[in-house]
Amino acid sequence: MTALVMPLSAFAQAKVDAPEAGSLEELLELVRQGFQVEKAENRQRLTEFQRERERQAELLAQAQGNLRSLENLSQQLEETYNTNEGKLGDYENRLTEALGQMGELFGVVRQVSTDLSGYVFASLTSSELGGRRELLDRLGRSKELPSTEDLESLWYELQREMTAQGKVSRYTTPILTTDGQVEEREVIRTGPFGAMSGGKYLLWEAEEQKLRELTRQPPSRYVDTVEPFAATTTGFAPLAVDPSSGSLLNALTDTPGFTERINQGGVVGYVILSLGFFALVLGLIRWAVISNTSRKVEAQRKASGAREDNPLGRILSVHEENREVDAETLELKLDEAVLRESSNLERFLWLVKTVSVVAPLLGLLGTVTGMIQTFQAITLFGAGDPKMMAGGISEALVTTMLGLVTAIPLVLLHATLSNSTRRIIDILDEQSAGLIATRAEHGNV
Amino acid sequence: MFEFEAYGAVRDFIELGGNVLLVIAFVTAVMWTLIIERFWYFRTGHKEETHRVQRAWDSRDDHSSWNAHQIRRMLISEVQQKLERGLNLIKTIVAVCPMFGLLGTVTGMIEVFDVMAIAGSGNARGMAGGVSKATLPTMAGMVAALSGMLFSIQLDRFARDESQRVSDQLEIVHE
Repeated sequence: MTALVMPLSAFAQAKVDAPEAGSLEELLELVRQGFQVEKAENRQRLTEFQRERERQAELLAQAQGNLRSLENLSQQLEETYNTNEGKLGDYENRLTEALGQMGELFGVVRQVSTDLSGYVFASLTSSELGGRRELLDRLGRSKELPSTEDLESLWYELQREMTAQGKVSRYTTPILTTDGQVEEREVIRTGPFGAMSGGKYLLWEAEEQKLRELTRQPPSRYVDTVEPFAATTTGFAPLAVDPSSGSLLNALTDTPGFTERINQGGVVGYVILSLGFFALVLGLIRWAVISNTSRKVEAQRKASGAREDNPLGRILSVHEENREVDAETLELKLDEAVLRESSNLERFLWLVKTVSVVAPLLGLLGTVTGMIQTFQAITLFGAGDPKMMAGGISEALVTTMLGLVTAIPLVLLHATLSNSTRRIIDILDEQSAGLIATRAEHGNV
Repeated sequence: MFEFEAYGAVRDFIELGGNVLLVIAFVTAVMWTLIIERFWYFRTGHKEETHRVQRAWDSRDDHSSWNAHQIRRMLISEVQQKLERGLNLIKTIVAVCPMFGLLGTVTGMIEVFDVMAIAGSGNARGMAGGVSKATLPTMAGMVAALSGMLFSIQLDRFARDESQRVSDQLEIVHE
């Protein structure tokens, strides 16, 4: 009995809000009533659910209907697209057929305009005839068929360029001067080759579409032709013309001048030059001294008495002072005097000689250092760009050149100097004794 | 007409070779003037000089004393000095001519590299001007040096032989 009651009471306890059952009868009654309530609730829920399911089916049917109609529409549109595509191709074919030769003409016009535009950009004639590029660029870019006026103006521009290139013309146009100012000047243009103003050559700067005065003018024998040419109005006059339309003149501007050239030689170059200058000055001084001495010695040979202002005279005076000594002693004394004089005469000769030998060696040193630079440049940038190597190579060549330029005059100077000193020393050595002997004999006689 | 053609050819050659060629031409002209002057002297002046020295020596009675020795040395040295005048300069110019050639090579190469620096290595025609300026002076220097060298050796030997001959002619009497 208690075993049955226990779970029930437990149930009752769980349902706290349920009415309290006073006895088992009441509990039973309560349970029965509870069943009935729940049954009714379940039935209600079921009907609700069924109603809901019916609505879902209805919605599904509706959506499917939508899908079908849209699919139909899409198919329809695709068909239209295909037919239109076909028609388009058809029309295009008809268009090309209709264009025929005109299509080619269109291409030619575009190409010619682009070519001419580039040409006109770089051409010297643009300094006289401006504003041609807009038309040409428009024709070159346009995707439409050019109009008759455009075609006519293209033809006109081509003809005008040809005519302008065949003429020497004078006109006033702004030019860039060497100090960076823009000035209106009268310019003479000789075809597409060159332009001159005020006796100077001008260069066409395509980027700025302006004429520029050359910073470095060509050699004077070319520049000198400009003024007479400008003064000529009829007939013919000679004129130096750059046939490459400016690139030669441009190269001229880039060629380094004398000082720039020497600077390319670097430290070695300066060493060579200063050594050479030093030796040259010293050599020239010695040359002046020796030729003076030589003249005095010649005068002494003809003179009767010994003068103290020249080596020969000093040696002769040694004899005068030692009249009473015997021949051998006299010879020793003379030898000593000659030795003293000759060391005096040969002073600094060794320096000229040494520098004349060392200068080419220094040039070789410069060559090697320059080549080292060149090969470093090759290691870094490869051998593709000769401009990268140019610095080292110009150092190498310029130092070699400086070495030779220094050495050659010094070699010649040394040859002349040593020639004259040897002559004087020969005179001192052999003639002094001879002169003394002659005098002694005449004196004796 | 022919002179004009020759003049044009020389001018073209000089223009191709550049300034160094002009200097070489000048130096070579100096050298040849000196060489011709030497030959001329050997044929004319030297004979007179030898006779003069010979007469001066023969006119002396005393051919053995210290004084005589010194006077003989003086006479020989006078002959020698006249014989050797300018020979050294000729030899120096012979030595300098190849140096001028080398100078031309270097200046020509500088021009070649100038063209390369401005126009890149593709412009063979632009570089050709520099190359001709490099090679022509080298050749001219060599030719000048070689032509001068043959004669300078000849002149040198002649001068040495002649001074030896003169010194042999002035006899000394040993006692």
